[in-house]
Amino acid sequence: MSYAYLFKYIIIGDTGVGKSCLLLQFTDKRFQPVHDLTIGVEFGARMITIDGKQIKLQIWDTAGQESFRSITRSYYRGAAGALLVYDITRRDTFNHLTTWLEDARQHSSSNMVIMLIGNKSDLEARREVKKEEGEAFAREHGLIFMETSAKTAANVEDAFIDTAKEIYEKIQEGVFDINNEANGIKIGPQHSPSSSGGSGGRPRPQADGGGCC
Amino acid sequence: MNYIKSFVKGTEDAMPSGAETVGRLCDRVSSSTLLDDRRDAVRALKSLSKKYRVEVGSQALPHLIEVLRSDSNDDEIIAYALETLFNLSTIDVDDEGDMVAQPETILTFIESFIAVTENVILALNMIEKDSFAARWAAVRLLTSLLRGKPNELQQIILIMPMGISRVMDLLAESREVIRNDALLALIELTRGNSNIQKIVAFENGFESIFNIIREEGSSDGGVVVEDCLLLLLHLLKSNTSNQQFFKEGSLIQHLTPFFDIDPESPWSAQKNANFHLMLKVIRTLVSPSNPSNMTSSCQLAMQHCLLLRKLSDLLMATGIPTDILTETINTVSELIRGCNENQQYFASVMAPWDPPRPALVVLLMSMVNAQQPFQLRCAVLYCFQCFLHKNAMGQSQIISTLLPSSLEPQDVSVGQLLCGGLFSVSDSLTNWLAATALSHALRSNNDAKHQLLRVQLATAPGNPPITLIRQITNIVHQTTFLQTRVGLLCLLCGWLTNCPVAVSHFLDNSTTVSFLLSQVAENGTDLEFVMHGVCALLLGICIIDNDGSVSQYTKESLIELIVARVGIERFCDALNCVPQHDIYTKALQKPQPSADEPDHLLLNHTFAKLFKTQEDVIIKTVSNLEDVKKEEEVKAAMKAHDSIVNEYKTLIREQDSKLEAFKGKCNKLEADLTSSASLLSERDAQVQQLKDQYNLLKLTQGTSGDETTAVMTKRIDDLNQQIIAKDNELKSCQQTISELKAQGDVKLSENPSADEKSQKDIISMQQELNRLSITLKEKEEELAKMTNASTSAVVQQADAASDALIAEKVAMQSQLADSKHKLDCAVVEKNQIKEENASLKQKLAEAENQIEELQKTASEHVAKYIESNSVCETIKKEQDDLLILLSDQEEKLSTYKKKLRGLGAEVSSDEGEDEYEGGDLNEEESETNNVNGEGA
Repeated sequence: MSYAYLFKYIIIGDTGVGKSCLLLQFTDKRFQPVHDLTIGVEFGARMITIDGKQIKLQIWDTAGQESFRSITRSYYRGAAGALLVYDITRRDTFNHLTTWLEDARQHSSSNMVIMLIGNKSDLEARREVKKEEGEAFAREHGLIFMETSAKTAANVEDAFIDTAKEIYEKIQEGVFDINNEANGIKIGPQHSPSSSGGSGGRPRPQADGGGCC
Repeated sequence: MNYIKSFVKGTEDAMPSGAETVGRLCDRVSSSTLLDDRRDAVRALKSLSKKYRVEVGSQALPHLIEVLRSDSNDDEIIAYALETLFNLSTIDVDDEGDMVAQPETILTFIESFIAVTENVILALNMIEKDSFAARWAAVRLLTSLLRGKPNELQQIILIMPMGISRVMDLLAESREVIRNDALLALIELTRGNSNIQKIVAFENGFESIFNIIREEGSSDGGVVVEDCLLLLLHLLKSNTSNQQFFKEGSLIQHLTPFFDIDPESPWSAQKNANFHLMLKVIRTLVSPSNPSNMTSSCQLAMQHCLLLRKLSDLLMATGIPTDILTETINTVSELIRGCNENQQYFASVMAPWDPPRPALVVLLMSMVNAQQPFQLRCAVLYCFQCFLHKNAMGQSQIISTLLPSSLEPQDVSVGQLLCGGLFSVSDSLTNWLAATALSHALRSNNDAKHQLLRVQLATAPGNPPITLIRQITNIVHQTTFLQTRVGLLCLLCGWLTNCPVAVSHFLDNSTTVSFLLSQVAENGTDLEFVMHGVCALLLGICIIDNDGSVSQYTKESLIELIVARVGIERFCDALNCVPQHDIYTKALQKPQPSADEPDHLLLNHTFAKLFKTQEDVIIKTVSNLEDVKKEEEVKAAMKAHDSIVNEYKTLIREQDSKLEAFKGKCNKLEADLTSSASLLSERDAQVQQLKDQYNLLKLTQGTSGDETTAVMTKRIDDLNQQIIAKDNELKSCQQTISELKAQGDVKLSENPSADEKSQKDIISMQQELNRLSITLKEKEEELAKMTNASTSAVVQQADAASDALIAEKVAMQSQLADSKHKLDCAVVEKNQIKEENASLKQKLAEAENQIEELQKTASEHVAKYIESNSVCETIKKEQDDLLILLSDQEEKLSTYKKKLRGLGAEVSSDEGEDEYEGGDLNEEESETNNVNGEGA
């Protein structure tokens, strides 16, 4: 299971918006209709391909409950990507986005890619938050936006993969310091140093080259 | 400095003023405006902090906190303050190994320190100080606080933003002392707190640990490696999420290099400790108490990254300390437990002996060897048990080594070793281990149980061979070792469960039951009670899995015997006392056999589970003897009744099935019916359609086809008539001509050739006409026939049955098309005939022309005749006759002409007729002339 890069993700958002279901749909391709409260943090992983490169996603699914908030804060720093999830059928989960975003921005590395996700798009009849509102929020705060359904799997793949693409592009542009693992990015054991720097990236002295495995 | 020293000395001299001194120092720390002064005071407090813990602890804390808060720019004073706090919160031992202070004192201090969360935050902030002393002291203080009040500290640090991340960052510290103390802090921080464990894993904790292990020399490394492994163990133990992360992150393969050991390097105590921890880490990942999918995926991963191979090599290597060897066996056991791929690999491992022997055999040799350490022997049993767990193939292979067919005397087999162990007379533990091992080969495998019944043993020379089960029973009776007896009884319990054949073999020995009953009835020591309980269980199994084939000991008679000899109550008490025993609860806890001392190894995990499931069933069965008896009576009475009922039942069942079959048939038929009905209606519709089509066709045929044929036939008839008329005309013409010819023959000689020619022409014409008329007739007939045939066929077909209609229609249509075609042909033919007719008319006209020519010649003859009139007076009479005849002919010709004209042929006008007549006359004249000429 060799990979070119490893990206760490976190999934954040209010309780019951479907964070664990998104993860389960992405890693196991199934849907769990019963809401089982996440305790602390749960872990999942999957391999994807971007630009012909194998990329391993390590995803930490956090508990949405307020009581776990302090624990989940510990995960911001080491993540390269965050999926900020709200429930389109519950306005309050949308209203809390600002708090989540502040929390994330405060504790994470400034380069963390945040994808805003309006989940439960299958429940159109019970919709309380318009798609346009989500788009506007994302535009205002510089996030990528997508509406998904963990139940029907609509856009779930895209949500995870598009985030990875964004991170990948940032690596290519040299924005991320890939040698600092605290950024949530790791170069795979098979990755040769010549390609790791990226075409436009700063040439870095690879004193400890290959020591990342 | 001197001042302080003298001051300290002074306090030491005046013993009771310790508290005073501390008080004065605290005053200085709080009131002095000079940093140097404060620094000195804190340093003094630090040096006093070990000796006067209580005093410093009770008075200095707020002042030290204040220093941390306000003097954080001075690394030195911070370091002193932190060190003081560290001293106050650490349990120290002096040179003699005695505790310097009471743990309660330290705990009290720690409690007062962490009572204000901000204090902890302040201390933790100091680990970010660049100063070595400050950072180091902060880390050590953290560790001590965690040791004193772990849960509280963990909660505070967990909630603190970046709390754990900051500690994690210290693992990358280049100053090894700090890094090593950070490891200790993390060990305390992660102890029993899965949330912190997960965050450490998230912060690349595993990778950092493996990096340090590698840097520190792996298994040959020092205490730092041990600390790393302990932290690793904390991160993985009972934390499924981290185990999954560990497995998903392909980190298992990082364990393998640890076992690349240098055979030359000595087994130091540190190496021993490192190995123990590493083996524990591995066992944590494949523990039987983990979720089974987790365990099995880790087992496979460890096989694939060659870890299992490395461990198996270690098993067979020489010079390994016994405790490491024992733990390695236990680790391999759990690595192969219930995992077929790994079990197969293990079965193939050979010991590097001469000749090579399977590792399993070598291990079992240690197990049945009383000289080997107890724990090692237990480990081998565990390994054997894990090898056979969910491995039916392995079980039957083991059993087969006991069967006579496969005995190879030179080779030591598993079967031989187990048998030898079972009947060893010197060591009861050997008996117990062998019996338990054998019971694992039978577990949940009825085939193996049956096979084992076949095993016969050679006893003393001259005596007949004896079955294994009989021999075991004999030893149970005879042995004086409790452990041997219990081991063999447990083996029998496992063997007999769910195997009535084995029960009947067992009961075949008449003394068995009374022996067991006597045991149940006896009093004894604590451990003997356990044995009595096992006897009771065995009796119970004999009742439950009894098929009644041994008439002396049927289900009921056994219960009756229990009632008569010991009583139900006593029997149940014997059973009940087993679960109350520690040995039982310990065995039930986990699969690995364990006991504090060899004598206490009586029950194994598998047996305990069996006991748990069977106990209730047996008590229920036995205590309901009256019910059972009554039941039996009723059963007997009911049996007859039952048989009748059964008969009826079968009858009903048969009828039911028949009914079902019929119903099915009926349904099928109904379905068939509906389908055929629909088919029929479809057909009907088709027929109707075809009929309509037919009618339509008939109609069109009637109106168009029939009409045209009728018109055609009419026309043909007309033509025929015309032809006939023409024929007649021709005939008459011919006649006239022949007559004329005859006349000419008689009279004329001057123009024979022309006459002949015309005659010939006429004849040929006539022939042709005849031929045409014949063909015409034929066609006519054909046509008539055809129309007849088609109409009659069509009518017939129309009358025919409806199911043939489609085909008929097609045939009809084709026939119709045929007839139409033929009709067309006929029309074409008719046209041809018309053409022919026209040509005939032409020919006729030609003939007329010829006739005209002839007339001309005849007129010439007439002229000649007039000229020779005078000469030919004699023939005038004849000529008159001829004239009369000619006139007759003329009449006929005129009628002929008229007819021809009626037919539409172009015939000369009346004038022409006149001329014709005149011509005729002339001709006649010429003829006469000719005759005359001839005559002349």
